[in-house]
Amino acid sequence: MRARLINRDDIVKLVRILMREYEVVAPFCSRGSDTVFDVVTEENIDKIQLHVRNPIYPPKRFVLPHVEQMFEFQMSEVGVSAIPTYNEKPRALFGIRSCDIAGIKHLDNFFLGREFVDPYYLRQRRNLFLVNVVCTEIGTDVGEYCFCLCADTGPAARDGFDLQLMDLGDVWMVVAGTERGSRYLDLEFMARGDDSHIKLRREILSRVRHQFFDKQTSWFSAAMRLITRLEVSESTWEKIGRRCLECGGCSFVCPTCSCFTVDDRRVSAGKAIRMRLWDSCALGGFTRMAGGFNPRKAVHDRRNRRFFHKLAYQFVLRDGSIGCVGCGRCAVVCHGAIGMPSVVEIIRRQELGSQD
Amino acid sequence: MDWNIYTPRPAIIDRVVDEIPGVKTFYWHFEDPQEEERFRKFLPGQFAQISIYGIGEFPASLPPSPTERELFFTIRKVGTCTAALHELGPGDRFGVRGPYGNGFRMDEYAGRNLVFVAGGIGLIPLRSCIVYALHKRDQYKKIQVFYGARTPKDLIFLNDLVGWQQSGLLECYVTVDRATEGWKGNVGLVTSLFRLPGVEVAVEHSTAFVCGPPVMFRFAIRDLLAMGYHERHIVSTLERYMKCGVGKCGHCCIGVAYVCTDGPVFTYEQIKELGEDI
Repeated sequence: MRARLINRDDIVKLVRILMREYEVVAPFCSRGSDTVFDVVTEENIDKIQLHVRNPIYPPKRFVLPHVEQMFEFQMSEVGVSAIPTYNEKPRALFGIRSCDIAGIKHLDNFFLGREFVDPYYLRQRRNLFLVNVVCTEIGTDVGEYCFCLCADTGPAARDGFDLQLMDLGDVWMVVAGTERGSRYLDLEFMARGDDSHIKLRREILSRVRHQFFDKQTSWFSAAMRLITRLEVSESTWEKIGRRCLECGGCSFVCPTCSCFTVDDRRVSAGKAIRMRLWDSCALGGFTRMAGGFNPRKAVHDRRNRRFFHKLAYQFVLRDGSIGCVGCGRCAVVCHGAIGMPSVVEIIRRQELGSQD
Repeated sequence: MDWNIYTPRPAIIDRVVDEIPGVKTFYWHFEDPQEEERFRKFLPGQFAQISIYGIGEFPASLPPSPTERELFFTIRKVGTCTAALHELGPGDRFGVRGPYGNGFRMDEYAGRNLVFVAGGIGLIPLRSCIVYALHKRDQYKKIQVFYGARTPKDLIFLNDLVGWQQSGLLECYVTVDRATEGWKGNVGLVTSLFRLPGVEVAVEHSTAFVCGPPVMFRFAIRDLLAMGYHERHIVSTLERYMKCGVGKCGHCCIGVAYVCTDGPVFTYEQIKELGEDI
């Protein structure tokens, strides 16, 4: 992989050059302590945040929108036309974290690498330019709920990005991950580095890894083994299920969750649209069939489903990666404190036999 | 038209036939003859996604055999989309996507006895296999159908079954959970048919097809295994809520499998390994 150096003050020049070809989306501060990805304009370009809490609304929405129109149906006497509505606007996601890069990779495998290729996902994905920013600042980039080390997705993504920026202190390193990212390394404000910068990168990454808060861990191995072998007891799932409020928040903030429902709406006498929107297996009606039969009626069965899908080895084989990237968002939003790390810990303790 | 994997293909209803109360059969064809030709290569056990434009889309089994002349769906009115379909008549348009799913491997069962165990409208997907086998009768040995429904008026395709039995093409045993006036046939669960005097359920070199409500499924499997069936030779078609039919929306998963792409046909051996109760 090719790499260059860039001065902190020149990063905004890189953003402006990206703005010529893409709609650039970058992290900004929002109300209170919230952060959000928003479109970069000349008015807000100086407010882009490079070291900031990872926005809670996950960047998967740039390849799998929360609400997405699939078709317009035009109905007349002579027939029905089904016109697909594609979103093909070129977009650059500036400041996506390494955990979220792993999430996009997981979704790529799912939507593009199976029996059928999803045409809506494909068009958005190939028009998406990813600029990863490595997490180097504990307390801002790395929050108290982060556990990317346990999921082996961070703090620096190894691939899956077009460009990667890393703060080395006096200067930033820019790494190209793809052909199209590589072109930007030849810009006049990119300088060559040397071995000392590579050494510095390694030192910083080592320091960051060692500084991860030890209270948020998710030792996946034992939990994956028990889940895969169907050895998690019913009472353990019930214990987890009792804490679930069935809000669906975990699914909506998760970078690897991809389930959606499809809905038709009549617009006028001769026109209807078909949309898809994010859905969650946490919700009671997720598997309910017309006629009333619901194979996953009990809350704890739905919790079982979530973690089976994310951690069972059969799915890891099938999807190419574990269904958790360690971003910690589920732990942040869960009212019942049963985000991934909590559930993994409850399952581990089942095996260890301790009461809690 | 730019068609993608989610595009409903235009179809037109030819005629509608009332079956049992709440169930209608819709004979239809694709607007595009090329689409029809492609679709007709479907396998027994596959399904299609039916679109009622502006209302919604839902999965439906394909009851015709690919060897039959006409395409049709047999649908019970049970929710929003099926209710909308029940309002349609000859000449009305709707959308079809498919065929999806893995289908039954009817040609691999050549030389075997076929035992069909169906409950209620579970006979609908199995009808495709039965007719396929009848159209290639020499390829199979004994064909036995064990069919039960709640009451006599819930027995679907009954005339077809009686006709095939009278022609000596298959053995057919029918029962109802609850008799009504005029019913002179068997009364009891479908599994009680196995124990009727004179009935010899084929077990050796046989494949059993089971389709019906979950509770019936459990008892039928239990009895078939007790008779000596191997789990590999019991096959079923499973159902789940589906929104896409192409393995993306996630609604139809059972454990490790997506019913729409890995199924809907599974052997009992596979069902046991799915990682979730059906």
